[in-house]
Amino acid sequence: MEQAQQAKTTAVKGTDTAREVRALVKNIYRSAHEAKANGQKVAYMMVASQYDEILRAMDVVPLPTENYAGLCAAKRDMDRFLLKAEADGYSQVLCSYARIGLGFDSLRKDLGHIPEGSPDGGMPVPDMMLGSSAVCDPRFKWYQAASRYLEVPTYGIDVVAPPPQDDLNAVRDYYIQYQRDQLKGLIGFLEAQTGKKMDPDRLWEAIRLGDKAWQLWYDIDRLRVAIPCPMPSQDHFSIMVAGHYYSGTQIAVDFYQKLYDEVKYKVDHKIGVIPDEKHRILYGGGLPPWHTLWIFNYFESFGAVFVIENVYRGYDPVEVPSHVKDPVDFLAWRAFLRFTRYHEKARARSGNPIVEKLLDMIADYKIDGVVFHACRSCRATTIGQTHMKSELGKYSDLPMMQLVSDMVDLRDYSEAQWKAQIGAFIEALEARGK
Amino acid sequence: MTVMQAIDRLYNERGVRARELRADGHKIIGYFCCFVPDEILAAFDLVPYRIQGSQSEPIDEADALLEPMACPFARSCFNLALKDRYDFLDGFVAPHSCDTIERMYHIWHSNKPTSFDHLINVPHMLGPSSDAFFRNELKYFISRLEDFTGKKLDESKLRDAIRLYNRRRALLREVYDLRRENPPRVSGTEITKLLVAGMGIPAAEHIGLVSAFIDEVKKRPRPAADGLPRIFLWGNEIDDIAFVSLVEECGAHVVMDDLCTGSRFFWQDVSETGDPLEALARRYLCTHCPRSLKPQAGNRREDLENRFGYIREFADGWKAAGAIFYIVRYCDTCELEGPDLKEYLTDLKLPVLMIEDDYSTSTIGQLRTRIQAFLEMIM
Ligand code: SF4
Ligand code: SF4
Repeated sequence: MEQAQQAKTTAVKGTDTAREVRALVKNIYRSAHEAKANGQKVAYMMVASQYDEILRAMDVVPLPTENYAGLCAAKRDMDRFLLKAEADGYSQVLCSYARIGLGFDSLRKDLGHIPEGSPDGGMPVPDMMLGSSAVCDPRFKWYQAASRYLEVPTYGIDVVAPPPQDDLNAVRDYYIQYQRDQLKGLIGFLEAQTGKKMDPDRLWEAIRLGDKAWQLWYDIDRLRVAIPCPMPSQDHFSIMVAGHYYSGTQIAVDFYQKLYDEVKYKVDHKIGVIPDEKHRILYGGGLPPWHTLWIFNYFESFGAVFVIENVYRGYDPVEVPSHVKDPVDFLAWRAFLRFTRYHEKARARSGNPIVEKLLDMIADYKIDGVVFHACRSCRATTIGQTHMKSELGKYSDLPMMQLVSDMVDLRDYSEAQWKAQIGAFIEALEARGK
Repeated sequence: MTVMQAIDRLYNERGVRARELRADGHKIIGYFCCFVPDEILAAFDLVPYRIQGSQSEPIDEADALLEPMACPFARSCFNLALKDRYDFLDGFVAPHSCDTIERMYHIWHSNKPTSFDHLINVPHMLGPSSDAFFRNELKYFISRLEDFTGKKLDESKLRDAIRLYNRRRALLREVYDLRRENPPRVSGTEITKLLVAGMGIPAAEHIGLVSAFIDEVKKRPRPAADGLPRIFLWGNEIDDIAFVSLVEECGAHVVMDDLCTGSRFFWQDVSETGDPLEALARRYLCTHCPRSLKPQAGNRREDLENRFGYIREFADGWKAAGAIFYIVRYCDTCELEGPDLKEYLTDLKLPVLMIEDDYSTSTIGQLRTRIQAFLEMIM
């Protein structure tokens, strides 16, 4: 049985374009090394901080430390960094991305060079670190802690979103004002670091490219409503690299254009990820288990395909009012509109924007079941999953499951337990299909 | 009833006074952490109630709704709410202190709604634009309270409340000053009780209690020198005496702290001049909490000094011989701050014991050996 399923797995077909992501990832770290050699400024940065285009417009080369942690896990080379951070006094329950980042910085400092054999050549010492409060707490606090190993200028910005209960008309102006002030503060900091003024035209250009890429990405995801599923979640977890780490560049636009064409072709020709698609699964949330990505293939061996996911997404496109003429204002408005996109819907029904988004996905993508991944060390993406499951249960009777491990720390993962849980979940899906 | 009996009653029977007040027609508003200005609630004649958990009660019902990797303090509070132990609250306000509280707010709101649920967004960054934003958030909070109570904010009442709370702050600092003596006439355990007792009663009542407590302590005879080490405590929520008592039982005096349930919530005053909302915004944002990010200042040493200089003053002023960190597990910002503060204090030659714990009295006994070993080392 097991054998047969494993064999079938090889028939799984993702997109060819997704295979090009490996080169994009390598290029992130290579570019950072090259930039250092050329005297260009390199910055540790956090994904989804709403400042990507600013970095591009100012020729600051982004070095995404969270992505690096995921990369280490995918290469199963994380333990030495985790253990180093723990030896330095960081708790075993602290965000494991942060532990890998801190452990890496600590080792590099002790050795005086990048630790031998680090994935993709390792990260060079950055010229600065740019934290943000978007998504979670560790993302601004981590770089402050990292200054223990790296004495470089460090800056943090707030990224704010109002709770769904707020009256948006009452809070909009001051939320946008604050976001603008925070971004302006960052620009001032970057100007001091680079010795260059920010050029608004270049920022507009980066914004145009950023929006174009994300529109294409959004269109690709809309294509994924097709049956059979043309692109699985495994691909999403690679192709998001272009949207999150190349935002504001032509590279991202070209990449998504190519991917769009390929996915469109698959949809038009009814080419699915697996030949016999039986169950369509929504990845409801939680960071992916980078250490065990093959688990998606395991689902597929039972005819279950992950067709859409609610993590590391691009935001849905939003319409910034035309009276906004300043690029920094535009970024502030865009952030506000992105974050409040589901607020009205939430107020009208469940009260919870994420639940609304998931319910939309369930309907649009003809979902048969939902899987969440609880990460022991990531509070931001894990707390609320249980609640979301119970809220979703009020509006849908789909089978739902929560797998538990961590995004990178293998010590929190049990293969036997997962397989047993998945088996029961598949049975529930099958029972429902009857 | 002696003052200590009154304190014991409030400490042991949490919510007892709030229930009485509610029976008399007052409205009680619960809140978390150190970022919700009591003054604003008081100005609306509402009774602010700082929500606490229970370290001695296992978290059972919350498990079905709130993941076990969330901060156990927050989980415990929610657990009590699920068991209707907070059924005396007319409203519930959460500041966006941290990921856990923010996410828990939504879960609480769906499962145990009150007639006034509100989340205040608290900037993580510090600086002028953060003050301005927070002032606006407070203004919005006020507008929601106006809808809830059906009355407009009376600015003179807000000013009165600021003065009243400053009075309470001054008295609490006076209590802390008593701890400068060696050996102190007042124990850390008593202080914890006094502070926790005050979290669920109107400021005016707490002021009466604190004054009486000060008088009582001043009458105590000075104890003979005992040579026991003086300890500074750092961490987050310690709303139970178990841990402080354990440290004292092991042979030490807990003399000073930087805790959410200690000096952190009352040390600084709110300015009584100028725009009261601006004063409140500024004061509450400056609360020393690892969840806020001070802009980097100079090199590593200077930055640590900028972040922790006030702790050096605490340790010096209260002649601490060692510091114990009590970090409630899963509090990411404390977990990241701890090693930095340890480095800073170690450089100052102040020995540090860093403890991460589950916010549960059932496991606290296991810490005894570590604490004893630490105290022996610094003696
Ligand atoms: S806590 Fe979660 S969201 Fe935050 S940095 Fe860690 S992994 Fe990312
Ligand atoms: S102890 Fe930490 S995690 Fe818990 S509520 Fe306070 S700030 Fe949040």
